[in-house]
This record gives sequence, C-alpha cells and structure tokens, in this order.
Amino acid sequence: MTIRFDNVTYRYATGKGGLSDISLEVGKGELLVVIGPSGSGKSTLLKLLAGFMEPQAGRILIAGQDIRGVSAQHRDLGIVFQSYALFPHMTVLENIAYPLKLRRVGRDERIERARNALREVGLANAGDRLPGTLSGGQQQRVALARALVYKPKALLLDEPLSALDAGLRTDMRDLITHIQRAANIATIHVTHDQEEALSMADRIAMIHEGRLLQLAPPRELYDAPVDTTVAAFVGKANLWPGRVVSPTLVATAFGNIECVASAWQIGAAVTLLIRPEAVMPITDDDGQGKGPRQEDKQPGRPINRFNGTLTQDRFLGAVRRYDLVVGDGVITGETGYRGIISGVTISPDDVRVLPA
Amino acid sequence: MMGRRAHILLWLALPATVFLAVFFILPLIFVVGDSLSDGGAAFGRVAADPIFWSGLRGSMAIGISAPLFSLVIGYFVSLHMARKSERFRAAMMFVISLPLTFSGLVIAYGFILTFGRAGFVTTLLAKLGADPAVIGGFIFSPLGLGFAYSYYLIPRVVMILLPPLINFDHSQILAAKSMGASGFRAHFDILLPQLVPGFISAFCLTSAVAFGAYGTALALVGTQVNILPLVLYSKIAETGNDLPAASAISVVLMSICILVITVAETVTARKGSRSAKGGKSVQSAMVAG
Repeated sequence: MTIRFDNVTYRYATGKGGLSDISLEVGKGELLVVIGPSGSGKSTLLKLLAGFMEPQAGRILIAGQDIRGVSAQHRDLGIVFQSYALFPHMTVLENIAYPLKLRRVGRDERIERARNALREVGLANAGDRLPGTLSGGQQQRVALARALVYKPKALLLDEPLSALDAGLRTDMRDLITHIQRAANIATIHVTHDQEEALSMADRIAMIHEGRLLQLAPPRELYDAPVDTTVAAFVGKANLWPGRVVSPTLVATAFGNIECVASAWQIGAAVTLLIRPEAVMPITDDDGQGKGPRQEDKQPGRPINRFNGTLTQDRFLGAVRRYDLVVGDGVITGETGYRGIISGVTISPDDVRVLPA
Repeated sequence: MMGRRAHILLWLALPATVFLAVFFILPLIFVVGDSLSDGGAAFGRVAADPIFWSGLRGSMAIGISAPLFSLVIGYFVSLHMARKSERFRAAMMFVISLPLTFSGLVIAYGFILTFGRAGFVTTLLAKLGADPAVIGGFIFSPLGLGFAYSYYLIPRVVMILLPPLINFDHSQILAAKSMGASGFRAHFDILLPQLVPGFISAFCLTSAVAFGAYGTALALVGTQVNILPLVLYSKIAETGNDLPAASAISVVLMSICILVITVAETVTARKGSRSAKGGKSVQSAMVAG
C-alpha cells in the first residue's frame, strides 16, 4: 500500500504551525522519516494521515483512495505514539489482542496472533504482565507489536524513541527497521532526531515552518542539502556567507575560498557549506603524529589553507570536535587525529555552494 | 531508646490526638455505652420497631439513588472540565465547591425558595401550564430529597473524578480509535475501566454523606419521610425518653457509614498500576455536609 499527500494544507486557528502545500509519496515497504524542528508541522502531518484532523486543502490517498471524510476508526493504520499509549488496565497480551478483538477475531486466534507478535518483538514471556511493570524499551516493543498485529495498511511512528535512553534508542532503531522491513509496510516515522532519521530512513522529508524543504535519501540530504536550513538541521555544518568572484572562487570572511561555483553568476550572494569531517587538520609535529596530511595526498591541486588558534577541543571518543579561530571566524572540524592542531585545509571538492 | 525526632513527632501529634479523643472517641464510647446501658435491650427494641426498618429502607434508597444520580452528573462535569485549561478549571472548581461551604439548612431553604410550592421555578413552570402542586410537591418527596442532596454530592464526585481524568493519557483513546474502536467503544473499553476505582470511591463517599445527612432532610421534609437520621431525631426530640434506642440507631448509622468509607478507602489504596493516577483519597475529598 502507498501513501500520498497531494498539496495538503492545514492551518491552526491560532495561526501558528500547520502545513502548507505538502506533496509527497511513500511507497510500499518504504520507511520515510519526517524531520524538522519543534513546531515545524511534522506531527500535524501524522495527525492528518491518522484521521485525527482533516486537511483544509489537498488530498491524502492511501492505496490510491482519497481518505477525506474517513474517520480514524476506519483508516486501518497502525500508530505508535510517543507515550506508547498502552492501556494500563490490560495485560500486555490483552493490549496486543485488543485491535483483533475489535475486528471480531475469535479468542483463540487472537491470543495466538498476539503471542506471535510478542515473540517477534522479543517479549515472548511478558504476555501476562501489566504495561506499568515494563521498562520504557519493553513498552515500546509492545506498542509496536500492537500496531502491527492486525496488518494495517501503513505504520505511523510518532517520535517513538524520544523517551528512551541513548543506548536503548540505538537498539530500538535497529529493531524497528528490522520489523518494518519484515512487514514490508509503508511507514512514516516522525522525529526531531537527525541521527535517528539518517540511520533508519529510506528517504527523509525535511519540514520547516510547515513547508517541505527537501525529500531525499539520507546521504543526498546530508551531502547535498538544498539550502542552509536543511544543511544546519541535518548534521554539523560550517556555513559561511560569501559572494562569487569567479567560477572557482568565493569571497568570504575567511578570504577567497577555492570551490566549484561555476553554476552561479559572478557577484551572486551564496553560503558555503563545509562539513566538519571535511576539515583536515595540519599537524604541528611535522609528520611525527598520525594526522592526515591532505597537501601530500593531492599534490599540485589548489587547497584552502587556514592557520589559527584552537579554542574548543571536545573529545567524543572515536573523534574529537574542535573549533579553530581564524581571524574573526570559527572553523569547526572533526578528526580522529589526537596531536596538536594549528591549522586546517579544506579541499575545494568538499565545499558545497548553497543559496544565501 | 526513642530518638529525638520521634519525640518531636509525638508532641506534634498530641493536639490532633486530644482533639480526636475529645470529639470522636469519647462521644463514641458514651454512645456505645448508652446503647448498651440496658443490657443491649435497646438494640432489640430498635430491631422490633417497624419505623426503624422503614427508616433504614428509606436511607438505603436515598443512600444509593442520590449518589448514583450525582455520579452520572459529576462524571460528565469532570469530563468536560478535564478538557479545559487549568485556569478555567480553577475558576470552575471554585464555583463547584461553593455548595460545600453552605450548611444543610441553608441548602434546604434555597431549594424551598427555588422549587417549593411558591418557588421561583415552580411559579415559572406554572405559568407554562404545569401543575404547581405537583412541581412544588416534588422537593418534599424522597426523590426531591435525593435531588437536593445531589447539590452537595456532585462537587464531591467532581473532586474525586477530576484528578484521574486530568492525568489520563488521551492518546490511549486515539490509539483505540486508530485500531478500529468507535468513540463510544474507546471510552467504554479504555477510559471507564481506569476510572472504576474513582467511581467506587465517589459512590461510597457520597453514599456515606447521603446516609448521614440530617439538616437538609429535617428542613425539607420534617419527619414525613422516613430515613434513619430523622428516626433518630424523633427518638430524642419527640418522645425524648428512649436515649438507649437513639444511641443504638446512632451506632447502626455510624457502622454503615464507616463500612462504606472503608470500602472506598480500600479500593482507593488498591488503585495502583491498574488505573489512571492522580485520584485523591476519600478522606481528603470529604467536607462536612
């Protein structure tokens, strides 16, 4: 089953939030992650699809059928809520069997299907427990089993991992993608966690102030964001305002930067995007340390070189993230190198030119 | 050896203990003593008195019907209030709690002035063609008494049901609907079972209040309607010569109220994880009526 939004618009009475002219499609078995800052409209999108609200303009289609006027009760969608929304007075098994009971599935069959669903999420022995006695991660699994047990047309996940510990969240990401792939079900997953989005999604829809800014696979969204808002929201970014002075040169506060700007008119105002991992440290220990020496790797090619003072040095385990003050500006870089850093180089190929 | 902290706590508890002893334990001992003063024969006389049994039946009828009526109204009021803003709820709670500050007599006279034979509502309805004798007579009947009781029982129901309703995670209803439940089914299967402890607490509390209420009943119906508090009153005020029997009725009345409150407290304590959190104890919601 596919999900399609055609020019969907919804505005709240307060005038704040909502969605403007959203069009997107989620294919069968696809996991689309919707990201955006708080109040961007991503939860509104889910509520419109779930049938808790109706769009003021546009259409929503499930399996090609316009669902305007179809109540939430009859949309046949599986939803996992942020709070899990488990029924505290029912056992885990009763919770999972509840949607089957509503569909008048016989008692024996619904118990068996509920047990199978529980087994699939790794909680085979928790059937007789009450939700209140389970950990957050276990409750999450029960909610997932309950949302899928009746084989809905699509699966909606509303920030399902936001209440979990960081470690558990990573495990749950893998479990959700595994189960979603196995069920081969069109899924929309709403989150504000860009790492979660990048690691789980087939495609990501970035929404900001109710508008769809970009819809692309994770790598494309990260490497080729359409504008500075997407670039700043997805991953860390050095964003430098500048002006195109030649097809290979952009003037910035850091000086002239070598890059590929041939698509832009001379004099155009632009923003340069450089990801921190593309910033290469120049080592002071002159080859004694194990830092990369980009100049040696690409001999003869122009390179952007900056000397400065290290002001912030954050040890993050596998990498260190540092701030190098160059003139009035700051360059943020990431490296596995652990020696002294007094300057950096940036390859022109790693500089992306975005609209100002 | 008793610690300093325990000593301080003991001293702090002393005023309340003295108060409880002087105004509850001591009178209770006297009442129980009085009821047994003729070797327990007072209980025999009470048991043989058909007026006592009809009073007990009347009290049971009012002690069940008025709380049930209050529960239905109070539930819908609470449901509505739970969906409103905190500010609106605070204002509404003030208004709803007002009846609890009035004495039973004031409420009775208020009802007479509004629904009595010459009452405002009766006169208005008479102008529309209703029989003022029927409308005006209603308030002086057992049903009318239950109606008047609900005036100060409904606030108690709201005070008990509102906290669990406010704390109820509404996404449970949305989840049930998304699974295929109708709005009614979602409320019936999901919300109501979680409120059962609150319903039982509210019913027991209001039932105990309705059982023991005296001022409103006396002012509204005098001794025309047979309920236990008025049977008790008649033993002291009218005949005035059978204090042991009055004490025996008092013991019976008190036992019923304590039993009902105990049931409510037990249910409240057992709420635990099987229900919505935030319910308040029966005692904390109790205000003298």
